[in-house]
Amino acid sequence: MNGPTLYVEESCVLPLVSIAVAVRAGASTDPPGKDGLTRIVANMLRRGCGGMTSQQIEDRIDSLGADLLIEAGPSTETVHADVIKRSVDKLVDLLALLLGEPTFDEVEFGRLLRETKGEIVEARDNDRWLAVRNFRRVLFEGHPYGRPIRGRMDTISAITRDDVVFHHRRHFTQGRVAIAIAGDVTRDQAELISKRLVSRLPEGGPSPDELSDPPATAGRRLVFVDKPDRTQAQILIGSIGSHPRDEDFIPLHTATTVFGGTFTSRLMREIRSNRGWSYGASARLAYEKKRDAFCMWTFPASKDAAECIKVELDLLELWRNRGITARELAFVKRYLVRSHAFDIDTPNKRVHQKLDVELFDLPEDHHSRYADHVQAVTLQAANQAVSQRISAADMVIAIVGTHREIGETVVKAIPALARVDVVAYDAE
Amino acid sequence: MSQTAVARMLRALNENKADALCVVHEADFPFGPAMTVRKYRLGNGLTVLLLVDPSAPVASYQTWFAVGSRHEKAGKTGLAHLFEHLMFNETENHPAGSFDRALEEAGAESNAATWVDWTFYHENIPRDRIGLVIDLEAERMSKLVLHDPQVTSEKEVVANERRFRVEDDIEGSANELLYRTAFTTHAYGWPTIGWMQDIQSFTTDDCAAFYRTHYAPNNAAVVIAGDVREKEVLARIQKAYGPIEPSVVPIEDVHPEPPQREERRVAMSKPTATDKLAIAYHGPAFGDVDHVPLAMLCEVLFSGRSSRAHRAIVQQEEIATDLRGGLTAFRDPGLFEIYATARPSRTADEIIASLDSEIDRVVSEPVSNEELDKVKARGELSLLQGLETVGGKAEQIGFYHTVLGDPAGAFDRLEAFRRSTRSDLLRAARRYLLRERRSIVIVHPETKPGARSET
Repeated sequence: MNGPTLYVEESCVLPLVSIAVAVRAGASTDPPGKDGLTRIVANMLRRGCGGMTSQQIEDRIDSLGADLLIEAGPSTETVHADVIKRSVDKLVDLLALLLGEPTFDEVEFGRLLRETKGEIVEARDNDRWLAVRNFRRVLFEGHPYGRPIRGRMDTISAITRDDVVFHHRRHFTQGRVAIAIAGDVTRDQAELISKRLVSRLPEGGPSPDELSDPPATAGRRLVFVDKPDRTQAQILIGSIGSHPRDEDFIPLHTATTVFGGTFTSRLMREIRSNRGWSYGASARLAYEKKRDAFCMWTFPASKDAAECIKVELDLLELWRNRGITARELAFVKRYLVRSHAFDIDTPNKRVHQKLDVELFDLPEDHHSRYADHVQAVTLQAANQAVSQRISAADMVIAIVGTHREIGETVVKAIPALARVDVVAYDAE
Repeated sequence: MSQTAVARMLRALNENKADALCVVHEADFPFGPAMTVRKYRLGNGLTVLLLVDPSAPVASYQTWFAVGSRHEKAGKTGLAHLFEHLMFNETENHPAGSFDRALEEAGAESNAATWVDWTFYHENIPRDRIGLVIDLEAERMSKLVLHDPQVTSEKEVVANERRFRVEDDIEGSANELLYRTAFTTHAYGWPTIGWMQDIQSFTTDDCAAFYRTHYAPNNAAVVIAGDVREKEVLARIQKAYGPIEPSVVPIEDVHPEPPQREERRVAMSKPTATDKLAIAYHGPAFGDVDHVPLAMLCEVLFSGRSSRAHRAIVQQEEIATDLRGGLTAFRDPGLFEIYATARPSRTADEIIASLDSEIDRVVSEPVSNEELDKVKARGELSLLQGLETVGGKAEQIGFYHTVLGDPAGAFDRLEAFRRSTRSDLLRAARRYLLRERRSIVIVHPETKPGARSET
């Protein structure tokens, strides 16, 4: 039998227990034309189960002194719960019902579809979200990571209750579940909890990994999200990054931290400290189950947007061509190794690191020997990772701003653009 | 540590020291069932609040100054917040940038926050680097260097922060207008980030005067929570902060808000598809006996999917997509705030009508026992979640000390939650949730200027 994997971190410092139940089936499994299905399934779990109505479930969660969050990601959907220790048994009973016997009530289903459409409209008010959404849509074009987890108006309309039932039946099996428990429980208690959590799920093998790494972008692409009355611009610039399975991941992560990962990084110094252009200026190397994005983020005043992009591209070129210095490497190693203490200072953080190894297909010792990995990075490896993985020619630039005011200057600021898309902020 | 051991430690620390440098033990505060916050004071007035917590090899170091936007004057709004930015610049012994660089090299997480009543700076740091933080924080409390280019650049950064949080953010704009409408007299009516015109007109002299007045040991509390040795930390603090002179903190020119006698409504338009709504009823101060029952009532109405208003307005009537409520935790009387986003084709007026029937209900009849029990359970969970990290513990201690003068106030508040009755909530509803005491901001979609799509 393929049962759930279990990770436990015991700590009796506080009378609090955290439980995460992750199902290895995320939005990447949404059928074509049904973007948003996984998130709908995740949200339907708490809207009726085992004879309880949505209202009864919510009342139960609150009266136990619990918090429940159910989220859908590209490759997982996860139920997170925090609960006061004295109520843990009652919460586990509820979670088992919620995972194994959701009713997918028709009335609640219709209500959730309408609520989701309202959220899609509301999300357009958030410029940062618009920038991220359009950056990922273009960067991951043709790959599931480019699809909206929340769905679009047309795809939400296309989802039926049968789709929801089928998704649940297909993916919610014991073999596809991983569980993390942290806090005031013993290992033995956690094992019993784990068994009870999946007791209403059918057995079943692990999920097949059908996802491939996203392909690199071809050429420089600008996507300009046109929104009226903007006083500043949200700007994301980036390309496909690396994955912890890749040999260059830790060297690239280290070099990215020098470039834009701290308050004194190159980007922060040049964009914020020296020029005062943007409240924040950062660069990040994200990963998912497959390679995700390397991305820079700034948000200058509209009048400075074109110049800011120009400086960012120059800094990127410099970073690619000359790399980081030995002094910068020594500094960032001290920062990353010492600040690692805050990645593991609570039982919940520690247990989630273990869970991530499984869910995101990380090397076994990615987190547990993180400090050793960082210490082992050489200057040559860091700079090679930057020059080989980061492309200045193949990248996506996403900007949210008022096109008639800054569109022309922005286009002029970016040499060798292969394609320019101007989209209305409410297009999707 | 026993009282005798504390006395012995202080005798050793204070031996052959002038009175101004001596450390005095003022009180102990039980912090939950197993921990204690120990309160000390230096001769120059600096309060030190220490919680030894060996649960992880880290520590949190926070400096809370009793100055926020309420201490500013009209025409100089945003100075407390701008100054928070400037505190990360040059000092007499450290060139620009070296403060952050040194902390990062030590593996620290560092940031700061300014609000209406206070400003605080925090560093989370591996336990063996705590001495570095003490030295750096003491240095910038008294030896900050202010030059025109730094002030000019930081003003531009803050202007960009304002564009991000207010000008280009619908809720930020609505919130600012709501406070300006609700408070006609009290300094809570202007935004902590400041009006744009004020931000752009500050001079280096304004900043220097603010620093001399408010950044002094007798206007601050240092909070340390984590795996530290009490005696070593106190000795280092004594050495680093002891020589800093206290300032004469001026008596605050406070203007209490007069009672509001009729509802105020204002409207604005933004590029958005749906109506937005912000409502504020005048509420009690954080230390008022009514604050806990009104906060509990707010939970009954707005906390999560099981709350009354969410259930009615979002789930059953389907008028709104988003609905939230909260009660401010201000030293002077604050606001009971409600924010909502209408569904496409529904209106802010429909949300107000539905909200009014929910408010009328809590004013006319008591909440149920089950609702009261839910709120008490949620309050307990929320406190526990806030104590998971040393940073969370230090923040609870610093906030409650600065606003209420009680470093362990979080636990007292939990007890007040447990003691509260249905009639307490009814009394709070009838005292505060009155229509003539509220202000309403409605955001309407502006006419769409033909946004186009080209690909």
